[in-house]
Amino acid sequence: MKSGDDMAPKERMLATLQGKEVDRLLVSPLILNFASRSLNMTVRSFCTNGANMGNANIACFKKYRHDIIYLFSTTSTLAEAMGTKMYFPEDDAPQVETPLIQTREDLKRLKPVNPEKDGRLPVYLEAVKRCVDAIGNEVFIVPVIGAPFTTSAALRGTETFIKELYTDPELIHTLMKVATQSVKNLIDTYVKAGGVPVTVEPVATGSMISEKHFREFVLPYLKEIYAHIHSYGLPGVLHICGKTKRVIQCMAESGADILSIDNIDLLEAKELVGEKVCLMGNVSPADGMLKGSPDLIMAMVKECVAKAADNPKGFIVATGCEVPIHTPHENMVAFLEAGRKYARLPVNLN
Amino acid sequence: MEKSDILYRLAQAVIDMDATRATEAAAAVIQHNVDPYEAIIEGLAKGMDKVNELFENEEYFVPEILLCADAMNAGIEVLRPYLPKETTWNKKKVVIGVVKGDTHDIGKNLVKIMLDNAGFEMHDLGRNVPYAKFVDTAGELKADLVCLSTLMTTTMDGMQVIIDDLKKAGIASRVMVGGGPISQGFAKNIGADGYAKNAAEAVKVAKGLFQEIHVPLILKTPELASVRRNQEGAR
Repeated sequence: MKSGDDMAPKERMLATLQGKEVDRLLVSPLILNFASRSLNMTVRSFCTNGANMGNANIACFKKYRHDIIYLFSTTSTLAEAMGTKMYFPEDDAPQVETPLIQTREDLKRLKPVNPEKDGRLPVYLEAVKRCVDAIGNEVFIVPVIGAPFTTSAALRGTETFIKELYTDPELIHTLMKVATQSVKNLIDTYVKAGGVPVTVEPVATGSMISEKHFREFVLPYLKEIYAHIHSYGLPGVLHICGKTKRVIQCMAESGADILSIDNIDLLEAKELVGEKVCLMGNVSPADGMLKGSPDLIMAMVKECVAKAADNPKGFIVATGCEVPIHTPHENMVAFLEAGRKYARLPVNLN
Repeated sequence: MEKSDILYRLAQAVIDMDATRATEAAAAVIQHNVDPYEAIIEGLAKGMDKVNELFENEEYFVPEILLCADAMNAGIEVLRPYLPKETTWNKKKVVIGVVKGDTHDIGKNLVKIMLDNAGFEMHDLGRNVPYAKFVDTAGELKADLVCLSTLMTTTMDGMQVIIDDLKKAGIASRVMVGGGPISQGFAKNIGADGYAKNAAEAVKVAKGLFQEIHVPLILKTPELASVRRNQEGAR
């Protein structure tokens, strides 16, 4: 689609990060597995082949010219590379089948990943390289990494894992340490390949665990991750979907510069943490992108801009979580058009 | 030991997520000849009611609920052999599962635990369940309620298919849906009878769907009719 923008996505993002003048806010729907649609491939063939994942994202960018290219299939990819067995539906995101750590005995098998070799990480790596080569001069290529808590849950099985917050905290910390090292290894590899890695920690959502547990089991490791990302001079991005009101203060303390949020009112988020972090969100993926009309989506984007464009540390127009793969093309167009229209600076919504 | 003391200890063990104390208190029930059915209703289940309340108020979260339910079940296991054998089952039958295409089952498991504790007879089909399996099972069991869960937006459309197929097959089961991407509006849109945004709400919604019928907790026995009458009188 013709964007009508004055700046290229990469130029806009750089200027935004450096606090320089920009034509408009970044508009970044969380296009993940949805990118497979741009080359009419199944999610399975998209996420198991680096050329496919790369080519589909390149085609998707040419079609929509969205501001950030994310490379992602599931939050469990890192756990998979560490030994968790996955199930690959024909046309949907892969899911955990058998977690690596069934008993404490299995801890012997736990070790940090080698991103060049383990699991499907080479698929991602090839996709990163392809995208960087083809469109990296125009847009940032952003591989998405499951953060330590989410990765540990997929290593142990979420239900068992979260009970062990009470019954076996030592095991949790053991998993978290190795998962954190894996995340750091992967960050190193992606950065070397020209990517700008971001992290997602959905298992630590406020719908799942308490703030107390977040502080004890999640926050210290996130701090380590963002310190590592900062050592490359890159911004830390933390995505947690679901309800985050209870944990958003902790999220802001993690060292992340940008929080991507879902079920929380943007006014409330701005009030709570807007002085500390850039916010990103939060058009509903289901009620908006998948089931809504283009008009409804335009109205939702407008509302997000109205609520958060004046966030002290900045705002990025996005969806609250992954754009569903069956989202109609018209709805994606509506989202981006609305973003280009309403997020133009200075904001004028009339 | 006083009966009221034992009942209090049962409830408190559940609230404190303490399976060991729940087991001990349940042993005390038998030792002191307290009615095991009453111990479940006035002890363990009372505790679980409080747990639901804590969950709704966001003082308890998913790990807490899972561990409280473990404690409750540990107590029930001790009491089960002492419950009267002749039982008149009058529980509402519920078929529950995660719709095909999705293997995230923690939400479904939570709803299952909560409904089970609230006195529904649960039939769990597991995760990644084919559409036809819901319809067939609901038909075979003459299920009162079918609960469909999903965390993924791609499987949302499958819910519509299942509801349509149930109608086509002439199965009268009511349908409750829930899960991350689903909203009240969506549920209404696809013709579901109920929508629950979390596990605690699922209990209320399910009970609401069968309001005219008293759902007995755990077991309904003729021998214990007097106990129930007293309780109902006390309400």
